Amino acid sequence: MPAAPPARLSEAGFVDPKALMAIRNLELRARVVVEGFWNGLHRSPYHGFSVEFTEYRPYSPGEDTRYLDWRLYARSDRYYVKRFEDETNLRCHLLVDQSRSMGYGSLTYSKSDYARTFAATLAWFLHDQGDAVGLFTFDERVRDYFPPRHRQGHLRQLMLALEREPEGRATHLGQPLRRAAELARKRGLIVLISDLLAPVDELERHLARLVAAGHELVVFQVLDPNELAFDFPRAALFQDMESRQDYFIDPGVARAEYQRQLNDHAAAVEAICRNLGFAFHRVLTGRPLELALLDFLRSRARRGKLIRRRPQRASPS
Amino acid sequence: MNFLTPWFLLGALAVAGPILFHLIRRAARERLPFSSLMFLKPAPPRATRRRKLEHLLLLLLRCLCLVALAAAFARPFLAGDNSLPVATAAGRQLIVLLDTSASMRRGGVWEEARAVAEKYIGQAGAADQVAVLTFDRQPRTLAAFAEWAAWPVDERAALARQRLASVSPSWMGTALGLALTTAAEQFPGTSPDGKPPERRDLVLISDLQEGARLDGLQGHDWPVGVRVRIERVGQKQPANAGLEILDPADNSIHVRVTNSRDSKRDKFHLAWAGVNTGVDVYLPPGETRTFTAPKLPAGMTSGVLQLSGGEGNFDNLSYYAAREVQPVKVSYLGPDSTNDPAQLLYYVQRVFPATVRRTVQVAPGGPLNDAAFAVIPGPLTPDQSATVREWLKGGKCALLVLSGASSGPTLSALLGLEEVSVTEAAGEYALLGEIDFKHPIFAPFDDPRFSDFTHIHFWKHRRWEIPPSLQARVPARFDDGSPMLAQIPVGKGFLLVLASGWTPADSQLAVSSKFPPLMERMLDWSGAGTPARAQFRTGEAIPSPVSSGGEVQWQKPDGKQVALPAGADFVETDLPGIYSALDGKVARRFAVNLPLEESRTAPLPQDELGRLGVPLGPVGGQSRVESRAYLRHAQDAEVEGRQKIWRWLIVAALAITFGEVILGGWLARRLAAAAPTP
Repeated sequence: MPAAPPARLSEAGFVDPKALMAIRNLELRARVVVEGFWNGLHRSPYHGFSVEFTEYRPYSPGEDTRYLDWRLYARSDRYYVKRFEDETNLRCHLLVDQSRSMGYGSLTYSKSDYARTFAATLAWFLHDQGDAVGLFTFDERVRDYFPPRHRQGHLRQLMLALEREPEGRATHLGQPLRRAAELARKRGLIVLISDLLAPVDELERHLARLVAAGHELVVFQVLDPNELAFDFPRAALFQDMESRQDYFIDPGVARAEYQRQLNDHAAAVEAICRNLGFAFHRVLTGRPLELALLDFLRSRARRGKLIRRRPQRASPS
Repeated sequence: MNFLTPWFLLGALAVAGPILFHLIRRAARERLPFSSLMFLKPAPPRATRRRKLEHLLLLLLRCLCLVALAAAFARPFLAGDNSLPVATAAGRQLIVLLDTSASMRRGGVWEEARAVAEKYIGQAGAADQVAVLTFDRQPRTLAAFAEWAAWPVDERAALARQRLASVSPSWMGTALGLALTTAAEQFPGTSPDGKPPERRDLVLISDLQEGARLDGLQGHDWPVGVRVRIERVGQKQPANAGLEILDPADNSIHVRVTNSRDSKRDKFHLAWAGVNTGVDVYLPPGETRTFTAPKLPAGMTSGVLQLSGGEGNFDNLSYYAAREVQPVKVSYLGPDSTNDPAQLLYYVQRVFPATVRRTVQVAPGGPLNDAAFAVIPGPLTPDQSATVREWLKGGKCALLVLSGASSGPTLSALLGLEEVSVTEAAGEYALLGEIDFKHPIFAPFDDPRFSDFTHIHFWKHRRWEIPPSLQARVPARFDDGSPMLAQIPVGKGFLLVLASGWTPADSQLAVSSKFPPLMERMLDWSGAGTPARAQFRTGEAIPSPVSSGGEVQWQKPDGKQVALPAGADFVETDLPGIYSALDGKVARRFAVNLPLEESRTAPLPQDELGRLGVPLGPVGGQSRVESRAYLRHAQDAEVEGRQKIWRWLIVAALAITFGEVILGGWLARRLAAAAPTP
């Protein structure tokens, strides 16, 4: 999804991310963003046994007889089972990348600050409307895991975990995604927030595993504006924040090739997402968080229209 | 420009460091962290820019700082300022300073020292100027520079040796500091032909014992060009122990024993000469302790205490002379009865106890001529007053107790005034209100434990105005402000005026515990009971036992007789032993001993003299060429020390460093401002 210039968006009445990041408390930042975005309830995709009736279903032998509608049986001499709407709402897992590459930032804050604020915003928003929110933080492996809950104090735990500074060295999406698939057994929504600056070879396989497990997936790729533009005035010794490797690079010479490879990488990731039938958003850290939240809600609204299909070994090209 | 320590100039090679660092920084100038280099390929920097030095001014400052530091450490000096040119110099100046203290008496040490002195005298050339000095407690000139110059050239050495042969070690202590500084002052400014001397050598020939006194060396301003050579003798001598009898304070005799640091023995025996029994004492090496000496056999008033068990033998005897009990006569100028407690005499007769130092005899109405102190309890006749006044003028002291208004004429007569009014003070009683504890009479009470006089009530006292012309001092006043005790000079002597008596009718003074010490102090202060010392050290003057009269006949331990007028101190205490002074029919004895420090014969640490600023030169045995090279170096050091160019170089290095910091900071700020924000 193309990103609009942050300045214009700020002028449109959203909170400027620079001003937002100046608030030290993560919880407060999330609250600021969420205010005004309370858009009503989700419709639960699952049926369960609760108070709100949805439909009748013919009884199959061997089913629990507690849910038979004996009155209907008296009237029609047929066995029917009553179905009710399940009020256990959305189970959402937030997967937040905490690798060192997320520590980069050409603005007054880093990608990690932005990603954590966005994750906190989502957590606040979902928790506010009664959904269960869980959290994975990862770098080369899963660091923190909080299963989805909707109880008092849970949100506070998530905030504390998100406030922890990134310590990881590398980004390996494979291992954390596999671990997330193992831990998140119950179907739900998984929101992956990462710069995705990792090889894409295994990404498709692990994402497919999550989709196959019945999860709905939304991917947010968080990038710094300077990572796209690669706008440095002169040659310098560039140091990889994860591997600490030094390359002497002349930006004027390397910029075109860098941007081409970066776009190829993003296109490959987007193709994987499209093939697997879930949403992919690229978010630049200069963009107001409200718009990122809108992106999320839009993808949720379009959910019903998307065709879920089996992956067909899509190639990045 | 010359350098005293030119090898420090090699430090200037460190300028390669800054040049190298300026090149290296070129290659890795700035490091920018970036999220991931997975889409980037390394591109080598262009080789042409690598060899280019940046910030040349900064580099120059850094190099200059290093060069200035290296040059400062190399101690530069301008040779043109060298006022001691070796090539044109006259002969050298040499002082042979020979130790003749008592410690040189140890076996073979003196012969060794004399041989060394003769060697130096024999080496002196025709152009050299030589002086020979000896020292123990005092330095003495044996042959001065002028005498040497006056002697025929070919007879100089023989004449100097002849004078050396007449010298032998004394029994005195060692004042090494005084000897060195005095000898150094003997160097003449130029040679007789007007040329500057080639060298100024001071050869110290001594056993350099640790007991030598080094006073005056610290901070002494040594003449230019003087080098002190040390010729240590007696290094193979055994360790030593010594003793010294202390001036006795009471009936027991205390002796201080010292054991040399290099001693291997710690058990010694103390016994009086001629007495078989004694005491064993244990003293670890390097320590000095005081022991109680064995009892002197009954009837003996002097003796020789012997220390056995040590290795050295020159200081194993200490002489003792018992202090003479001094008779003191106090004249009481009143008609009082000795058995009437209501009168002052009753108390005066009992207040001075006999001590080991003196016996006090109170003579009621006694003659004044042989009295040391006088108590005047009441009015005197005009004749008596005149006699007492004359006696006071001779340097004596008397205590006048004011008994009432009738004492006024006596007081005025004694003070030589027209009229002094004495009145009886009114009131119930008086206390002491103000006491000057700095005054010698009250000084012993200057302690919170003894300074409370408030329990002494004065039922009656007399008031009198002290005329300002008397220059009186008032050690104590009553609480009404009138003087309780006044000290008034009369000629060479003093009159003490007490405004109240000590009888029960006048005050509680006599029943107070403060009364005896107060009277004792008055007696001491008057000079009447000053006890004479009996123990002296060699070289110390013995005060004359009598101050008036005829001659005093002194006798030294070797039997030599010396007649001195009364009051003249005896200074020929050059031998340890018992000295006697015969004053008419009274003979007094004094013991003179070797100073205990002289027994501490362990060698002085080698660097002690250097630490005290003595300009030490090479120890003997150097060749002429080595000595000349050394001298040239010493002269260079002297010139360099005067010019001190290194200080300016250090200041320059600091200034350059300051400039470098400012310039470096400015450049860093400029680069930081130009650098991209990561």
